[in-house]
Amino acid sequence: MTEVHLRGVGKDFGAFTAISRIDLDIKSGELVALLGPSGCGKTTTLRMIAGLEVPTSGQILFDGEDVSEVPVQDRNVGMVFQRYALFPHMTVEKNVTFGLKVRGTPAEEIKERLEDILDVVQLQPFRHRFPAQLSGGQMQRVAIARTLITKPSVLMMDEPLANLDTKLRGEMRRFIRDLQQRLGITTIFVTHDQIEAMELADRVAVIFNGNLAQYDRPDVLYQRPSSIEVADFMGADNIFPADISSAGVIDSRFGKLTFDPATAPAQDGEGHFLLRSEAIDLLLTAEGAETNLIQGVVRNREFFGASVNYAVECAGETINVSEQSRRLVEVGETVWLRIQPNHIWVIQEGSRA
Amino acid sequence: MWIQLMPVLVVLSVLFGGALVLGVMQSLGFAPWFGVNTFPDFQYFGALWGDWFFWQSLGLTLYYALVSTFLSLVMGVLLALALVRYFPGKTFYKYLYKLPLMIPYTVGIALAVIMMGNSGMISRLMAFVGLIDDPSQFPQILKTHYGWGIIAVYVWKQTPFVALTVYAVLLGVGRETEEAAAILGANKWQIFFQVTFPQILPGIVSSTLIIFAFNIGAFEAPFILGGGFPDTLPVVAWRYFNDADYTLQLQGMATVVSIALIAGVILYSYLSFYRRYERRIGRH
Repeated sequence: MTEVHLRGVGKDFGAFTAISRIDLDIKSGELVALLGPSGCGKTTTLRMIAGLEVPTSGQILFDGEDVSEVPVQDRNVGMVFQRYALFPHMTVEKNVTFGLKVRGTPAEEIKERLEDILDVVQLQPFRHRFPAQLSGGQMQRVAIARTLITKPSVLMMDEPLANLDTKLRGEMRRFIRDLQQRLGITTIFVTHDQIEAMELADRVAVIFNGNLAQYDRPDVLYQRPSSIEVADFMGADNIFPADISSAGVIDSRFGKLTFDPATAPAQDGEGHFLLRSEAIDLLLTAEGAETNLIQGVVRNREFFGASVNYAVECAGETINVSEQSRRLVEVGETVWLRIQPNHIWVIQEGSRA
Repeated sequence: MWIQLMPVLVVLSVLFGGALVLGVMQSLGFAPWFGVNTFPDFQYFGALWGDWFFWQSLGLTLYYALVSTFLSLVMGVLLALALVRYFPGKTFYKYLYKLPLMIPYTVGIALAVIMMGNSGMISRLMAFVGLIDDPSQFPQILKTHYGWGIIAVYVWKQTPFVALTVYAVLLGVGRETEEAAAILGANKWQIFFQVTFPQILPGIVSSTLIIFAFNIGAFEAPFILGGGFPDTLPVVAWRYFNDADYTLQLQGMATVVSIALIAGVILYSYLSFYRRYERRIGRH
């Protein structure tokens, strides 16, 4: 088990700064996602941890030891590439045993470990096939087996679910999660898809423009983003400016709303508040509801089968509401939106690190 | 589909096929326009193959062709490997290395004469800096049976060709499998021979096939830069064709057909050897 620490790691490519400065602590056995839009530097970060790129500044520590200058061959890490990078001229067996052969592992041991790992990834029937004769999910399992057989101290994956279709995605997600928990191997993966990050990771590091924007558990990241950019990237859509008081009152164009300062600590002053679309109740009458009520008209409806989204026009703004499709509200109907105080999140840039 | 293939088929069957049939028939004694018609007659092949000089010529031909093919292959692959990596001024080099491809062989031969000849630039330069007393002391490079001049011209012209072909293949292969191998613990030799080389092999085979076929049949370089008797087979054929005794043209045709036969056998065995390897590693 290995802890990974990034201490002020930066990377320049000529005049272009890919990573300005990143500090990251990854606990032993943790599954961490590096999340960000393409070109944000997440893949560069992963490649630096793997040893494929040398950081321009800072240190990368494995269990407290600086490995920034250790060549990739000696770093004992594992990497599963986005397009798997299997050796096309080798069978599954040869692909999987490559790492052990080049390290000069005795043939007996290679044989044993090969059988073990083929069982783990359920590829026994495909052992004599070539990569071109495998499906995407099978290729990925070969790539994982090829890496895990070398017992890497850190496992890295580049967009592990991106190239798979929806059905396979779920299967591979469970497979990776189970495997990672069973082996307890420290795992870092890169993705641009916030769903993928939340599905898989224990903690998610959001990277924008070469900087770490937020590093938290998926639920925290989703419900309590530290900035509008993070909230936006995590798929939030109801973000509105307001005057905020530390006592728990928001003064916005929708009138006064109360929030719970214990869940969303705030300072007096300007800021934004975030209403998660699934945390809003859509009421057809105002009766019985007293606080945090916003009146509006349904302007649009999107039906997704299990769930349904409404765009509700309130005081000239659009608030998106989603709910289970147990009923359908017609477009044009007047509705009241109610939100519990502890479901309102407040974003005040600069006030909270 | 047939309409699209027609032009190629016409050229191949009429021009090439016709010439081939005629050439083979002539080498077997069919030349009524010279008043010779003893078809089928193997005496021209007999006379040619029975003479020791033919085998010496064949040896020389193969030696020049093989050595220059091998050198071009090694240097071309190294060049291609360098070109896929980043280095300062790469764009400039990418144009520079292709220059010999655009310059005709004859110009290359002239350059070799100017540079490497006994009163060439190199000998004068060496005399100038005092390495030798007089340009005439410069060692004979051209016009020897070592064929340094011939090999130099071939390698000069063909290294970029191999590099161009292999570079294109390398771009398609990408860096990822090499990186994966490095992460798995392979050193750079293991990476090259076990991961990169098998993937660029199709490019290597096709480019070496082409340059070897050219080298074995090329005429100008050995004619101008070669060491005289025994000549390479194409030069031998040329001498027969140019002989005052025009009936020797049939002997020349037998030489040409021999070259074609030998080249065909070598290239075919090379290809089938490669196919066997492809099948062994599971590619078809």
